[in-house]
Amino acid sequence: MKRLQLQRWSGSVLSAQARTGGRLQQRLYTAIRHQSTASPAAPAGHDQLIREQPQAPSIRPSRPSQSRYNLPSPPVEAARESAKLASLHARLYLPSRLPLETLARSLVDASADPDPNFNNESLATLGHDLLTQYTSEYLVCTYPRLPLTVVFAAMYAYVGPKTLAAMAKEWGVESVAAPGGEVDPGYLQFRRLPPGAEVNPELITGTERPHEEETHWRKSVTSRVVYDNEYGDPVKAGVPPSELPEREAKNNNLGVSHEQASSTFVHALMGAVYLHAGRPAAKRFFEQHFLSRHLNISDLFNFSSPARDLARLCARENFDAPVARIISETGRKSRSPVFVVGIYSGADKLGEGAGASLLEARFRACVASLKGWYLYSPLNVRVPSSMEEEGAAPWKPVHVDLGEVII
Amino acid sequence: MPIQGIRTVASARNGVGAFILQCKQLDFHYCDWAGSSRGMVAYLRHHLHAFAKANPQIEIRVSPRPNKHPVIRGVFVNGREKVICVRNLEPEQIGKKANLLREASGEKLKRTTKPVTSINESVRGIWSPYHGGLNGV
Amino acid sequence: MAHCIAAPKRPLVALPFLLPSPCESIALALRRNQSSYRRTKQRLRVKPDASFGSSLTHTQEDHIVHNPPSSAPSVYLTPTKFLPSGDIRRNLRLASVKNNDAEALPPVVRAPSEKKYHLTPSDIREIRRLRATDPMMWSRLKLAKHFECSPIFISLVCETSPQKKEIQKRVLEAVQSRWGSKRRMAREDRQLRKDAWGRDE
Repeated sequence: MKRLQLQRWSGSVLSAQARTGGRLQQRLYTAIRHQSTASPAAPAGHDQLIREQPQAPSIRPSRPSQSRYNLPSPPVEAARESAKLASLHARLYLPSRLPLETLARSLVDASADPDPNFNNESLATLGHDLLTQYTSEYLVCTYPRLPLTVVFAAMYAYVGPKTLAAMAKEWGVESVAAPGGEVDPGYLQFRRLPPGAEVNPELITGTERPHEEETHWRKSVTSRVVYDNEYGDPVKAGVPPSELPEREAKNNNLGVSHEQASSTFVHALMGAVYLHAGRPAAKRFFEQHFLSRHLNISDLFNFSSPARDLARLCARENFDAPVARIISETGRKSRSPVFVVGIYSGADKLGEGAGASLLEARFRACVASLKGWYLYSPLNVRVPSSMEEEGAAPWKPVHVDLGEVII
Repeated sequence: MPIQGIRTVASARNGVGAFILQCKQLDFHYCDWAGSSRGMVAYLRHHLHAFAKANPQIEIRVSPRPNKHPVIRGVFVNGREKVICVRNLEPEQIGKKANLLREASGEKLKRTTKPVTSINESVRGIWSPYHGGLNGV
Repeated sequence: MAHCIAAPKRPLVALPFLLPSPCESIALALRRNQSSYRRTKQRLRVKPDASFGSSLTHTQEDHIVHNPPSSAPSVYLTPTKFLPSGDIRRNLRLASVKNNDAEALPPVVRAPSEKKYHLTPSDIREIRRLRATDPMMWSRLKLAKHFECSPIFISLVCETSPQKKEIQKRVLEAVQSRWGSKRRMAREDRQLRKDAWGRDE
């Protein structure tokens, strides 16, 4: 939302009575200012950072002399005046060492301000890598047997673009209608996609995968680790630095979707917390905002032939071949029978399922047994990044076994 | 492919990790001339400062609304708004109203009949007649 | 009790037997009806079962009341067999569970068939030859019956000709074209339900 400059026309709009309250307004204005400075962003550790800030505009010296209307994004000094920004800082319990200026910068998308010194692209790159690392190590250490496709799905559920966009919304971040220098820096600044633009192109070309033009070739799951991104989606290959300006110019004209801009902001905020407040604070931020979300991993599985998988698993692990046994049943000859079938390997029950036919019950029992295998979680899970803390206990290797059943 | 992953979005549990205060903005409107705003003006002069200091998460805006009753408008994270008219109220009562908005979730008021509402699964699972100790009847 | 106070069906004065003594009439609003009290008490008066715990027999010792839930087990509870050998839970569970013999196991759904492994490479060549020469005559099922193996094994060994596939597809289309809306919908629903099994819905 662009905010109109009140100073110019406020005299003609506000009535005489309203203007008599000038002193009151002034006092309240200081109260609001006080609020923004009384937020955890205030303490003395900051002064150094504030003093460093003027260095940033020196990269583009023409910037301070320009009018705010000519700037692509709000100037650095506007961050101290924004109550919206200060309230966002306080609402997220951001560490006090993270200054408002950096928070304002993390809200500027590359589509709004192409200058890499003022947009959040660099912060987002760092934050993206941190989020991916923390989430993947949590998933792999907590559920060491999880199949790769389910790991991809879980990554998407925890730090996928849809989740991050939802998080930005739940944090109360509003976005601008059009970016500009006069806008309150507390808004998410990005250039919107033109109406009718394709948000998710069906086929992404220009990836690093060899023979990508052969669409009917089978893509193995393992190759997705190498060539695709953390959600198993194809990703565009990196561009050499010589072609970078052209590509950026092309992208900036296009604009980005709200979902993409929001997820870039969340990435950038993670990177900013890491840079200003250090590793423990970044870890805490991740645990409080990302890992605390609810995700039932067992809902992410979709089996197509569980009986075959289970037979392969038992053969691989030298267990007795799985046998389906009827634990209980009712109404076999009726219209709505119920069978409870258990899968046994030798005398041990692996899982059980109920269904309206023996076939369904057996299928569900196989699914339950396979989930029992895949969702094994060791006790006292530690992630590798916990070793970065001071005085951490000696590292014990995490549980690793053959895990996924490969047919 | 034997197993496919189903894509979902992890659902938020506000307060399990960090707690995000749902009230993100409070607008105080007053009138300098009207008598119904007397309490509001006193509240703005003497109490709002402390309120704003105690609640840095809330963006506070003060603006005149001439020839109208004073109101407090709360904007919430879920996009809804709540407006309370505070005409002829004393500053202490206005403080209570502001606190009411601060503590509201922004949702419409609902009657809760169940003691617990949870997305967590029951510890003992969903009861089924075919499980557990099957005693003869 | 509470709703009795809120909305009494009949006026209380019309029910004099509910007032046991005049001195208790003040506390009437806070009392449970005698009839319902007696009924509840009666229901609770059941014979002590073995599952109630051994509080009567071993009053001195500590004991654990084990009351497993009457629900399907959670998938997050890893079966003992799937626990790795280093896991402490494995030994704990094995120590607590008594040895149960194989006779106590429930009946099997379908008796597992013995695998014969009797086909030789020459047999497999013969299967391929027959399937290639006359695909209409030598279908998967017929070959399986002739060579006493499973149809899945036939499909692993050889593949039918594209012409046969085309003919089969046309036959299926002809059959499906005779279906009405009810049957078609019922078949589609059945397939949807089958897909839901894999997602555990």
